[in-house]
Amino acid sequence: MADKYLVQPDIDFINEIRGTGGETLKKCFQCATCSVACPIAPDRKPFPRKEMIAASWGLKDKLLPNPDIWLCHNCGDCTAQCPRGAKPGDVMASLRMMTIREYAGPKSVANALSDPKKLPLLLVIPAVIFIVLGLITGLLDFSPERVHGGIVHSEFFSHWLVDIVFVPLTIWAVAIFAMGLKRFIGDIHKNAVSEGKTDKQGIEVKGFIAALIKVIPVILKHSRFSECGENNDRATPHMMVLFSFIALFIVTSVAFIMLYVFNHHGPYSQLNPVKILANVGGIALIIGAALLIKQRLDKTDEVSTYKDWYLLWLVLGLGVTGMLTELLRLADAAFLTYLFYFIHLILVFNLIAFLPFSKLAHLVYRTVAMAYNEYSEREVKKA
Amino acid sequence: MSKKYGVYICKGCGIGDALDIEAICDVVEEEALPCKTHDFLCGQEGVDLIKKDIEENGTNSLVIAACSRRVNYNTFKFDGCIVERVNLREGVVWSHPREEFPKLTEEEKEDENNFDRVQMMAEDYLRMGMARVEKVKLPEPYLLETMSKKIMVMGGGTTGMSAALDAANAGYDVTIVEKEAQLGGNALKWRKQLPLQAPYEELIPPVAADKIKAVQDHPKIDIRTETVVARIAGQPGDFTVTLKKPGEKIEFDVPYPLPEEMRVDENGKELEHEALMEKYREYNEGRRDILTLDPNGEKFGAVILAAGWRPYQPKEDEFPHLGWGASPDVITNYQLEQMVAEGKITRPSDGKDAKNVVFIQSPGNGTDSDFPYSGVVTGMVALKQAQYVREDYEDGKAYIFYQHMRTSGLAENFYKAAQQDPGIFMTKGEITSVEKNGSGLAVSAKDTLLGENIGINADLVVLGTGMVPVTYDDPTVNLAYRQGPGFRDNEVFDWYADSNFICFPYETQRTGIYAAGGVRRALSVEESMEDASGAALKAIQCLESVNRGISVHPRSGDMTIPEFFFQRCTQCKRCTDECPFGAIDDDEKGTPKPNPTRCRRCGTCMGACPERIISFADYSIDSIGSQVKAVEVPSEDDYDEPPFRILGLVCENDAYPAMDIMGLHKKSFSADVRIIPVRCLGSVNVIWIKDALSQGMDGVFLLGCKHGDDYQCHFVKGSELAQIRMKKIGDALSSLALEEERVAQYEVAIDDYDNIPGIINSFVEQIEELGPNPFKGF
Repeated sequence: MADKYLVQPDIDFINEIRGTGGETLKKCFQCATCSVACPIAPDRKPFPRKEMIAASWGLKDKLLPNPDIWLCHNCGDCTAQCPRGAKPGDVMASLRMMTIREYAGPKSVANALSDPKKLPLLLVIPAVIFIVLGLITGLLDFSPERVHGGIVHSEFFSHWLVDIVFVPLTIWAVAIFAMGLKRFIGDIHKNAVSEGKTDKQGIEVKGFIAALIKVIPVILKHSRFSECGENNDRATPHMMVLFSFIALFIVTSVAFIMLYVFNHHGPYSQLNPVKILANVGGIALIIGAALLIKQRLDKTDEVSTYKDWYLLWLVLGLGVTGMLTELLRLADAAFLTYLFYFIHLILVFNLIAFLPFSKLAHLVYRTVAMAYNEYSEREVKKA
Repeated sequence: MSKKYGVYICKGCGIGDALDIEAICDVVEEEALPCKTHDFLCGQEGVDLIKKDIEENGTNSLVIAACSRRVNYNTFKFDGCIVERVNLREGVVWSHPREEFPKLTEEEKEDENNFDRVQMMAEDYLRMGMARVEKVKLPEPYLLETMSKKIMVMGGGTTGMSAALDAANAGYDVTIVEKEAQLGGNALKWRKQLPLQAPYEELIPPVAADKIKAVQDHPKIDIRTETVVARIAGQPGDFTVTLKKPGEKIEFDVPYPLPEEMRVDENGKELEHEALMEKYREYNEGRRDILTLDPNGEKFGAVILAAGWRPYQPKEDEFPHLGWGASPDVITNYQLEQMVAEGKITRPSDGKDAKNVVFIQSPGNGTDSDFPYSGVVTGMVALKQAQYVREDYEDGKAYIFYQHMRTSGLAENFYKAAQQDPGIFMTKGEITSVEKNGSGLAVSAKDTLLGENIGINADLVVLGTGMVPVTYDDPTVNLAYRQGPGFRDNEVFDWYADSNFICFPYETQRTGIYAAGGVRRALSVEESMEDASGAALKAIQCLESVNRGISVHPRSGDMTIPEFFFQRCTQCKRCTDECPFGAIDDDEKGTPKPNPTRCRRCGTCMGACPERIISFADYSIDSIGSQVKAVEVPSEDDYDEPPFRILGLVCENDAYPAMDIMGLHKKSFSADVRIIPVRCLGSVNVIWIKDALSQGMDGVFLLGCKHGDDYQCHFVKGSELAQIRMKKIGDALSSLALEEERVAQYEVAIDDYDNIPGIINSFVEQIEELGPNPFKGF
């Protein structure tokens, strides 16, 4: 038989999945209750049953380039109904982590990010960069002056310093994503073709972009997420976090343009619409992140890995330090507000620098996978 | 015993409302028997009423017309009394509700041409009950002159040793007979064994070694190694066993019956008795006849057959698509077990490490059946051996392809534990080919859980072949029985020593011989130990029944035995041939020689006997015949349109209980039918059918168990034999100008209560279409 798949199980890969949240994976006995329970699995080649056997057979080549693991929103319905306690939802989550790691380079960064012991290092690196670079360039002033009697953060930590660090950092993140995605899209298409999930021969850019545009409202509205049963209550806080990130991204972009194009410095008035958007975004971020953390703590039957916690606490930390920086400035507590600003920037560094490696990368991979799913016409039933 | 009769009619449970009890009493009094009625006969007061008659009036032959004999059995059991239960409740009132079968109104009663079918039915049953008590006797126990309570265990493997220990610990003397020089059997040689107790997760060392020590130390267990059974003669409680060294030829080696082709002359005609005997002696030259007892033989009361199994070795060209025969690296699970007992798993072709091992559980080729003689255990063995791969090599990979992965009971935990191993991969699937691939093998499979055709590069392929019972190769038990040394028609069970796996485990087709372990099914050590206990208990049940002169099973406690009126025997040998349990031998002249403790009291011999010389104390040609004759068959002299009368002979094992359940569910059937329970359809003698038809009854049906390869007959052959006899009676009927369709046999199971009304009613309709029996009224 020519058309056969040569099975080459990778025992290390199995152990890796089991070590990153998929401990229960080998309990699966292939009853397919999960695929039936899943509210969003497509009719054609539904998941996660096939992912479960591929994972328990250690078939790395079938899993990492698999767009299906991204269609899963980890709603937990499969895990709740699994008769064997194999927790397919957690296995899928673990596979996503491994995919992110697979497509993001350099590997040393990816590895550092999955190791709790390296956390202090990840926090110290940006601090060292800020201080060394700041002292060399003189853009970091430990005895900042007041401007018109008020506290201005750029007196302490120059916006030049911010941009010297963060502009290249953003470029690096985008570059890593770009390289990863190029490989990723090619791989998922190959996988979909070989497993009969699509009839499309190649990827045509126009059609793909059209599909992308089509899925964006789906993502924004969380329509997929809301189809979930078990973890439905996660949809709202998740949406809050997503929208606050979007709001804060807009605020940062506006501020950037105002600064360099119109030479307009902060801090803005509290009545400025941009400021209002920033404040609302900040508060939503804190509430959303806090709720997600609480829900994870309450859900003891689902696995939460270090990577889940790293991201959630980072997001909460971002919100809290950001708001504290602002509040302390308004309270005129100079030392404290500078301190929290510094911490805030360390966290922002973590967010951006490690974006392609952390769980947050799902923002990009899931979007692409959903767009691909749309493009591939998989949901369209075969006649 | 001089009989003093008493008839008691219960009016409870709706009987009194539905029937005219006074009229029934008149029927009784016509026979000049005393009739008493009670509102609630099974209550204390009702029972006391009967007891008072027994004590004060010496009443000893009771007809109790109330509920089915299957309920309140102990309530209406009176020592030293013959009791006949007339089933008015389930059989008449409940199964013929008045809403469907209305009583006659006062007005209707005035016309003599009207009749009440249900009342007629009840009155007939009373007549039949009275007829029976008149004809039956109280049984007396058959006791052996000398009885041995020793148990012989054939086979010294795990099963045999376990059975010996169980029986010995219960206080019985046991002798283990083992053909090898050492006890332990197959399981002793394994690297590891499947778990025996909670949590059922890990492999353990074989328990055989501990068992050997336990049996050797047990004061009640006698061990004979390098010994086999030459013959087992006699009957339960009194077996005479001749033992010998394996391979020896002795005069007490069991003789074999003449094969079919030697029983006829050149023209295909059955030889005369004398000629047959001559040939038989010739055929068994040097062996004593079965009836000659070995004076040096050892006495045993019961036998546990735990002779075990041998591995299934596929024939050279049996599985070419699996590479069997073509590559030395395709082996059986048994061969792998032998290999790992000595060392690591390697490739037989070059002795190199075998780290990638594929276990195949089903040969495929378009079917999903497993290898021959496999079972639940072969799947578990694959799980066990997959763990050997993982034990031997840290990077070892074991693949299991199955069509069925079964684990019994808590062994499911063992499967779960094996599943957890990252190097064990399992999928349902069909292997399409195993081919050479460099120094290794390329395995291809389809219909896998991976959703596509897959290939695996393997070092070794292991076939999950089965366990062949030793009874496949040899009768092993070597019974000195006229029907032959082994179990009859054993091919129905693929030569496993069995009679009905589900209903009667451990009971073979020979009373007193109880099978356990690999000789009975493919099974694990845990299951064989469970089997051993079951067979040991059965052997004990046998001894403790035979010593009191009662039947062992399935009619446990039945004290009757077949009695022969030899003066009229024509030596036709039908009883000897047809007894499903080989209970009857015959002597040189061909006269039957019954062995009462081999008998299971089914009455097949009674049904077979053309001379009708076989009977039981409470069940005979005459007792049933009299019941048939007690049915009133109305003719045109009685009514303008006389009702039909149809006789139903119903097997009391499944069909009769099913009819009781039918009554319980108030399912109705024709009121023109009269039911007589029989021990087994095998016991139905055609004379009863002739009696019924010659007295004008319009049809006769038999209701019994399923027969054939998947039989449910409690006596193995009974319903099948009845079927053959019914076919023959058809010819006799047509010679009397009666339609063959007037006699029919139906198969039912105990859960068929819903279908029985339909079966009976359509038979009645068929008879009504034929019209009345022309002999009616003569």
